[in-house]
Amino acid sequence: MTPILEVKHLTRNFGGFQAVGDVSLSVKTGELTALIGPNGAGKTTFYNMLSGKFPPSSGQIFFEGKNITGLPPYKIAHAGISRSFQITNIFSCMTVRQNILSALIAHYGKGASLFSPYGHDVKLIRETDAILVQLGLSQFSDVETRYLAYGDKRLVEIGIVLANSPRLILLDEPTAGMTPEETERMTALIQRLADETKTTFFLTEHDMKVVFSVSQKIFVLHQGQLLAQGTPEEIRENRQVKEAYLGGSLDT
Amino acid sequence: MSNPENRKKGTLLWAGGFAVLAFLPLIMNTYITMLVTEILIMGMFALSFNLLFGYGGLLSFGHAAFFGVGGYVTAFLLIHAFPSVPAALLTGGCAAMLAALVVGYFSVRLDEIYFAILTLGFGMMFYALVHQWRSVTGGSDGLTGIVLPPLGVGSFSIEISSPRAFYYIVAFFFLVTAFVLLKIVRSSFGLILLSIRENKERTTFTGINIKSYRLAAFVIAGLFAGLAGGLFALFDRMASPSMMHWTASAEPVLMTILGGAHIFLGPVVGAVLFFFIEHFITKFTDVWMIFLGAILIPLVIFFPEGVLGTLLPGKKRGGKAKNGEGPDDAHS
Repeated sequence: MTPILEVKHLTRNFGGFQAVGDVSLSVKTGELTALIGPNGAGKTTFYNMLSGKFPPSSGQIFFEGKNITGLPPYKIAHAGISRSFQITNIFSCMTVRQNILSALIAHYGKGASLFSPYGHDVKLIRETDAILVQLGLSQFSDVETRYLAYGDKRLVEIGIVLANSPRLILLDEPTAGMTPEETERMTALIQRLADETKTTFFLTEHDMKVVFSVSQKIFVLHQGQLLAQGTPEEIRENRQVKEAYLGGSLDT
Repeated sequence: MSNPENRKKGTLLWAGGFAVLAFLPLIMNTYITMLVTEILIMGMFALSFNLLFGYGGLLSFGHAAFFGVGGYVTAFLLIHAFPSVPAALLTGGCAAMLAALVVGYFSVRLDEIYFAILTLGFGMMFYALVHQWRSVTGGSDGLTGIVLPPLGVGSFSIEISSPRAFYYIVAFFFLVTAFVLLKIVRSSFGLILLSIRENKERTTFTGINIKSYRLAAFVIAGLFAGLAGGLFALFDRMASPSMMHWTASAEPVLMTILGGAHIFLGPVVGAVLFFFIEHFITKFTDVWMIFLGAILIPLVIFFPEGVLGTLLPGKKRGGKAKNGEGPDDAHS
């Protein structure tokens, strides 16, 4: 079976600095995969290339066998990859409902309807409601997102990601900045969504507890290079990985 | 979202607005009728500008170019080609739309100040063009001598050159513009436009080609600015370069900020205030702009949502009423 994502010799230079160097990896369909690595390892750069924020300096990216290297973000989104951001990235002066609706309109390509009121589209409203229920955000549907608690804002972003009905979801540090309770809620949500939907999750994460509890496969980046890959057990025992993380934060 | 009650309220508002516009001339003298006519034209112009600014987050500083193109084309056709007001106006609007397509094609790639400066530059080019191309535009004298032909089909026709009759023409176009633009901002397209204003990056990553949406908004805004410009030329009986001067591009900006950019009718309220301030203060002094400035500065500092936006709390920014002052997150 073709892997859902296959990356070949991906490299990105910023001036003289190589943020990601010759990384090749593949993500299996349906396997909850994590990308970890110390600060500055190149995780976000790697994600930015996958999602089209900027093109790689060299190398190729294949999604479901199709070459998507260098495509602009909106084309990659339509191809079936959706991402979240490390720093909450939502529409803050729009209501929760509008946030989800906007992504649904984008997904179905309905944005060209100049005169049909978005509030009357039964299909869009039904799907919005379903996502709000799925995330437990229904009671906030008419609240502008800037008034939400931090953890709920992150959930709205997950909602935007889900609205695109992606087959591959890239989550860039979904629990960054969360309280332990919020982290637990987010972890459970990711686990549940991965089980319920046929979507493949590929996430980066700082919190090792989260990584080892949810992922089936882990890739380790270090100084822009792929250092190791394997199951959580294999990674936990990997001496090189332990050294890369020095202080041994893998123990948590 | 839209429940029947809201829709009923909306219909009532439209009926009310329609009635007011229909009966106003009966109680106004000629001077006031002409003043209101001008306000409605500038209100149209400002509404078209605010599709870009309030909803699209694009501060265009060259919007008068399209106002002017509409005005010049309408005037030119009436003087040299055919004696039909609707045909001349619509052609003027379409010409402005075309001009907006060209200007927009280059401008919508840029953001914020860069977009503002590029549109300003294009606006100045259009100004220079009408100023220099004497054989067609009449140079600094403008295109003068417009005669308003009667409006009609076959043997049935009505005179529209009286201030009152012309007022009704303008009121009609104003209502159509307001209706169409309101439809647009409440459409799926409108929500995407709002999303782009709110968060360009997030919108791209949901699968939206931002440039094409911005260009579409720019072209629509150009069309209505062109119609407003055509009406203005008819109102003045001439098209003059001052319609396209960069200070003319500032007027819809000022009106929108006065009235409120994040509420649909804000720019219209701003247009009313703008003219009120101008006419009230010019009675005492010629330097009314100083007073306008003195009013604008505290307004922008203390009431950034504008007069209408401040008077109608809870409707700000196209959102819904909120549950009190929510906690701002300490984490981010």
